Amino acid sequence: MKSPSFIRIARWIRNAAAFFVAMIVVVLMLPSKARSQLGLDPCCAVIITGLTQVSNLLTSVVAKPLSAIQQFEQQALSFDQQIVYPLTAITQARGLAVQSQAQFVQMRQIFQLPVASATLANPQQLEQTLLSRNATSVPQIASRYGSVYGTVMPTTDAPQPLRDLVDMTDAEAQAAMKRAVEIDALADLEIQAAEQINQQIQTAAPGSAAILDAQTAAWLVRANAYTQSAMSELVRVRAIELANRGSQLKFSATHTTTLQTSGSSVLQGAH
Amino acid sequence: MTNRDTESTHENSEKPRMAKRWLALFVMGGVLLVPSARAAGLGDILTLLNTITRTIQSDIGGTLGVMNTIHSSMNTLHQEFVWPVALINQAKSFVTSMHSQYGSLMSQIMFTRNNSATLVNPIQLELVFRNGQSGSLGQIQVSYANVYHAPPSPNQARPAQRNMIDMDDALAMGSLKTAVLSDQTTQTLLTLADSIEQQSATAAPGSAPILSLLAKVANLETQAYLSKMLAAELRQEAGHLAHQNALLKQSATSTQNLQNQMQQVLSHP
Repeated sequence: MKSPSFIRIARWIRNAAAFFVAMIVVVLMLPSKARSQLGLDPCCAVIITGLTQVSNLLTSVVAKPLSAIQQFEQQALSFDQQIVYPLTAITQARGLAVQSQAQFVQMRQIFQLPVASATLANPQQLEQTLLSRNATSVPQIASRYGSVYGTVMPTTDAPQPLRDLVDMTDAEAQAAMKRAVEIDALADLEIQAAEQINQQIQTAAPGSAAILDAQTAAWLVRANAYTQSAMSELVRVRAIELANRGSQLKFSATHTTTLQTSGSSVLQGAH
Repeated sequence: MTNRDTESTHENSEKPRMAKRWLALFVMGGVLLVPSARAAGLGDILTLLNTITRTIQSDIGGTLGVMNTIHSSMNTLHQEFVWPVALINQAKSFVTSMHSQYGSLMSQIMFTRNNSATLVNPIQLELVFRNGQSGSLGQIQVSYANVYHAPPSPNQARPAQRNMIDMDDALAMGSLKTAVLSDQTTQTLLTLADSIEQQSATAAPGSAPILSLLAKVANLETQAYLSKMLAAELRQEAGHLAHQNALLKQSATSTQNLQNQMQQVLSHP
């Protein structure tokens, strides 16, 4: 028979033995080194090595070229600001546009000064229309022209060829006068457009100036076209003038022949 | 109490203790299993780090290297080929040199006095219509009349002839006045051209388009005034043509009148 104390001791020993066995198992199963974030773990060491390599790469492969790019950008910016687009030069150019506006206005006002000089009623009316610079007054030219230069002779006063010539000449003279009024009106519009574009230049940037430049170029083409149309009218006027001179020679030749025939008839009758 | 009773009492109290022990062993086992799981992820970490390294080195590094080269080339292109400072300065000097070389010479030619009249009245008229001053427009009428005389009075000529004479004079004087205005405008345009050229000498590639645009606007104005001069010439030529035609009309009417009068004379001997 075992005493209760012996049994208690035996149980204690048994429990202690079980505990130690368990502890040995645990200790055996534990890794030889602690796994922590303090670089003691091989895994951490691997990570640290990797991250160090990444960091070195970021410094050499990323940061260095980025720094070089930043330097290039800085140089480009400085070059643009000081050499290509210096603000002072741009401001000066805009300032010149402001000054020019006054000159443009002055020129427009000079060309608006009256140049009418006729003293009699009919010429005054015709001249007023011719210098009106108003295309809507063109229809008035025919009647006012007639009151100064007369109309085509009646059939009783002149042969048909002469009447045709006179009508053609009147037509061209009137057309030239009408074209002159129209050209004046168009020129006024061109001057107005030029002043408007110049106002835009006063606030333009180098980039927007190119757009305005294209627009102005288009206006120049248009202006040249109108000038060309005025030139063609001038050519027509001179062509009709030349045709009239030739026609007068033809009439003279015809008259001479008629006179010769009539003279011969008279002389033959006298004999 | 017997031993058996005591033993059974102990066995009953041992059961929860044993359960606790097994639980402790299970937890410890679980804890010990985690590192092995971590150990299994180490390969993944290495792979990840390798991937990051490769990405930084080849993709990011390569691209940045190319960008760097491009930026460098762009800067070289801009500074050495597109806007080389030396050539910009050379162009500015060229503008200044051209201006000083031609400016005064052209100005001298342009403003040479071409007045050629020798008598008092023609000298006066020529002076007025060649001075390029719009303020003297009012003097043209008087000076013109001094040279070309006033239109005939009603008892000196028929109304048709007087109208035509007045119209001829008006067109001639109108053209002379327009020429004066044109001359004054030309002076203003030449001043503007000078200003643009002078400013070109201090311009930058960025401000030059603005000056170029301004010059084009001035060119447009010149075209407009050129058109106005052509319109004046058209009026003049049209008047000339109308004058000749009116003479023809008057001649035809006069001939008809003469014919009628001769017939009347012949029919009444």
